This record gives sequence, structure tokens and C-alpha cells, in this order.
Amino acid sequence: MTWETLWPLLAQGTLDTLWMVVPAALCAQLLGTALGVLLTLTRPGGLHPLPPLFRALDAIVNVGRSLPFIILLVLLIPFTRLITGTSIGATAAIVPLTVAAIPFVARLVDGALKDVPHGVVDAARAMGATTAQTVFKVLLPEARPALIHAFTVMVVSLIGYSAMAGAIGGGGLGDLAIRYGYQRFETGVMFATVAALLVLVQLTQWAGDRAAARSDHR
Amino acid sequence: MPDPHAPDVLAFQNVCKTYPGQPRPALDDLKLRVPRGSRMGIIGRSGAGKSTLVRLLSGLDTPDTGELRVRGEVLGPATRAAHQARTGLVFQQFNLLAQRTVLRNVTLPLELRGVPRARRDALAREQLGLVGLGDYAGRYPAQLSGGQKQRVGIARALVTAPDLLLADEATSALDPETSAGILQLLLELQRERDLTLVIVTHQLEVVRAVTTHVAVLEGGQLVESGETAAVLRDPRHTATRALLDAHRPQVTLAPGETLRRVTLPDLTASTLAALTRSGARLVQAEPHPQGVDVWLAAPAAEAAPQPGAVPA
Ligand SMILES: Nc1ncnc2c1ncn2[C@@H]1O[C@H](COP(=O)(O)OP(=O)(O)O)[C@@H](O)[C@H]1O
Ligand SMILES: [Mg+2]
Repeated sequence: MTWETLWPLLAQGTLDTLWMVVPAALCAQLLGTALGVLLTLTRPGGLHPLPPLFRALDAIVNVGRSLPFIILLVLLIPFTRLITGTSIGATAAIVPLTVAAIPFVARLVDGALKDVPHGVVDAARAMGATTAQTVFKVLLPEARPALIHAFTVMVVSLIGYSAMAGAIGGGGLGDLAIRYGYQRFETGVMFATVAALLVLVQLTQWAGDRAAARSDHR
Repeated sequence: MPDPHAPDVLAFQNVCKTYPGQPRPALDDLKLRVPRGSRMGIIGRSGAGKSTLVRLLSGLDTPDTGELRVRGEVLGPATRAAHQARTGLVFQQFNLLAQRTVLRNVTLPLELRGVPRARRDALAREQLGLVGLGDYAGRYPAQLSGGQKQRVGIARALVTAPDLLLADEATSALDPETSAGILQLLLELQRERDLTLVIVTHQLEVVRAVTTHVAVLEGGQLVESGETAAVLRDPRHTATRALLDAHRPQVTLAPGETLRRVTLPDLTASTLAALTRSGARLVQAEPHPQGVDVWLAAPAAEAAPQPGAVPA
């Protein structure tokens, strides 16, 4: 295969990967953060303890995290169809990617919020902060570097997961590597896609680390 | 001087508090009154229940039984917000927000109650000027020394113009010289603003340096209280004596000598000469908001205190 034919494949693969990963990452960060905040608030000893809700959410997060992505992908097909109208293609892959990333983000966010010193929360509460104010003006801003780090780790994982979305015709770089490299023995294509994936992951990690460091004033 | 007829700002009435899973109460039938305008020291060794008392006072926790009256009203869900709005809190570990600048730390309490930005910035800058940090508004806490962080903590506690200031071990994380500066600042602010100051500490020198009244806690109970000078002159309870003794410098005394402590306005050659003439030996000296705190080993017969000195 020549560079002229490889190049459009790579470009399309990268675009497909980004089309799956970016929306999924944004949705998962939003919903995962909300779930992480709920875990932090409702746990025994939290700002708003609700043990039954906490145990339920905690269990859901654990199940979500322990389910292999490929299984999740299949399990979610009816749900995906409900939301996107199809269960095949890059757009359809956004749904399972988001669902897979939510518990992951929730766990990381929960951990990040736990690292905000207790005394800082006490200070805010003694000033009369409501629970919402404590969350939005103290907990989340104080955890910002850790939240950026969580986002980075999640995007990197999603880039990996998105390769499996090829199984439902999602396209993307991983799909390219499997179709050409594995099924047609086009080792050159395989190496090129692996290189593209590596660059994508490295860029994400570098940008994430940089943003986290710049936002951290500790 | 506190007006003896003024109502108490704070009154603990048979307050009990046991933390879940703990065998012993952290506060055990505590009765304590804090007169308006006083500087009340709460002293006791580690685990005596001092921080628990502060958590109840600041509305962070509630008593299991008993009542806490603040400015004449029982502290409860209905009165908590109003009480917190008039109460400032200063912590041992400062508890500043690491990701906010000094200015934004001080504006936080105003932000929480919806004061417009221009107004809260102006108030916070004024407050930072008063604690001597006018030039540090744009820095982050990590760029400050311990003493500077505590000044930010004090500015934050006072920016809402409270009439009650609670300080839990506010100087315990600081070196002696920095501590003296912070205590001096608290003293000045308390006088200027007619604050009631509740200062919690395990350090006797803090009580001696700034308080008008003192309460000694031991095992969650109030074991002794009164005007500071009287309690320190004539401690009744063994816990108080233990605190006083723990603070005495370790020296070998000559027969007939006793160890005494006095606060002098300064320690110049002439005050030193006067001490020596009276037969006293200087054992130890340390900074104090009103000058120098000195320990003297003096012949028992030499009993009259130095002019201007405060007896230990
Ligand atoms: N959050 C808590 N959970 C359980 N026990 C606590 C907690 N906070 C304090 N205690 C216990 O309550 C007692 C009083 O503690 P504290 O008020 O912090 O004392 P102090 O400030 O005088 O050192 C101690 O025995 C301590 O171990
Ligand atoms: Mg304490």
C-alpha cells in the first residue's frame, strides 16, 4: 500500500476515533463528576449522608467498572439503538463509550474530592456555606488539578476502548489496525495506525499533565 | 474591660457530646459562660475536648444533650445561620483554599452570602491591609509563610465584621516569635472592634499573653475557670497546676530560691541590673505581646514583684 492510499485511511480513522472519543469524554466527565460528587456527599460521614443511596451508587459504580467493555458494548445495544436510532457505526459507539467511562470518572472524582482537606470544608461550613456552595465553590475548585488528571486518564482509556468499537462497525484507528493489519496482513498499515494511536495518546497525556500542573497552585 | 452586667455572648448549659463509637464523652456536662467583650482562654491538654467545644460553638456539630446559648438565643437549626454570620473562626492549620488567591480566600465568606464583587473586593483588601498583607492579595497560600497564612485566616474570619472570634490553636503551628506577632494582632483587633475572643490552646503562655478569663478543660469537663490572673496566681485544680508546672523551665534551684515568672516591658541593661541587685537570677526569657516574659530564680524572702510586672 502506498502513502497516497494510506494517508486518507489514517486521516479518516483519526477523525472517527476523535468523533467517538471527544463527545463520549465530555458527556462522561459531566455525568461521572455528578456521580462522584453524589458518592462523596452521601457516604457515611459525608456532607449529606444517605447510606442506602450511597450503597446503591457504590455498587453500580463497581459493577460498571468490572464489566469488560466488549460485554458492555453488546449489553447496551438496545439502549444505544434507543438513543441514536442505530446500534452500528461511530455515532452509536459514543453511547457505550460514555457509559463505560462514567463509573471510571466517578471513582476518580470521588477520590479527588476526598483529598480536599477536611479542614477547608469545615471552614466553608462554618462560614455558613450551603451544601451546593461547598461543592461548587470549595470541593470542585480545590480538586481541579485532580479532576483534570482524571479527565486525561479517562480520555486515554477511551482511545483504547474506541479500538474495540470496531466490532460494531465504529471505525476509527483501532478498527483500521485490525482490518488491515490483522485480517489482511498489511503490517505497514498496522504500524502506521499504532503510531497514530500513540501520538494521540501522548498528545492527550502531555496536554492533560500540562493543564493540571498549570491549574495547581499548591 | 468587659462590662460585668453585659449578657453572656456564649453559655454552655450541661452540654454533652460523645462521638459515635467512642467509649467516653468528648464533652461531659459542660457548663461555661463567656462574658461579652472578654478574651476567654480555653486550655487543656490534648484530647480534653477543646476542639469539640469549638465545633459546637461554630455550628459544625450539635450537642447530644444540653444547650448552647449564643447571644441569648439557643443555638439550633433556626438560629445557626444568623450565628455563623456573626462568628469568625481561625484554625491551627489555617484551612485556606489552596487554589484561590489570598484575595479570593478573604472574599469567600462574602461571596457565600452574595455580596457584589466590587464591594467584597474592597472589603477584603481593606482587611488584608489591616493584617499587614496589603501587597499579597494576588499570591496563593503556598507562597506564604505560616504566620502570613494565619494573617490571611484572620482577615477571612473578620471580613464579615463578626462580634465573636473563635481561634482553635491558632498559633500552635507557628514558631514562638511568629506566635507572639499573631497574638499581638488578635489582641489589637479584639480591642479595636470590641470582639469577644475565644482562644483555645494547650499553651499556657497564650492564655497568659492575651486572655482576661480562662477555663480549664480536663476529660471533657470544666475543672476550673475565672479571671486569668486569679487562676494563674492561685490554681485550684491539679490539672491547672500540671499545666503551670509543665511550663516551668527545668533548673536546679539553690536552697531557699523559688522560681517566679514576670512580664517586663523590655529587657535592657538597666532592667537586668535592677534584677541582679534584687538578688534574682534570670533563668529564661521569651517574647510576649507586652514585652518580655522572664523566669527568675529568686531568694524566697525577695517577694515583692518588680514595678509594672505581672505576677506569674
Ligand atoms: N471526629 C471524631 N471522632 C471520634 N472521636 C473524636 C473525634 N474528634 C475528637 N474525638 C475524641 O474526642 C476527644 C476530644 O477531642 P478534641 O475535642 O479534639 O480534644 P482537644 O482539641 O482538646 O485535643 C478525644 O478523646 C478525641 O479522641
Ligand atoms: Mg484540638
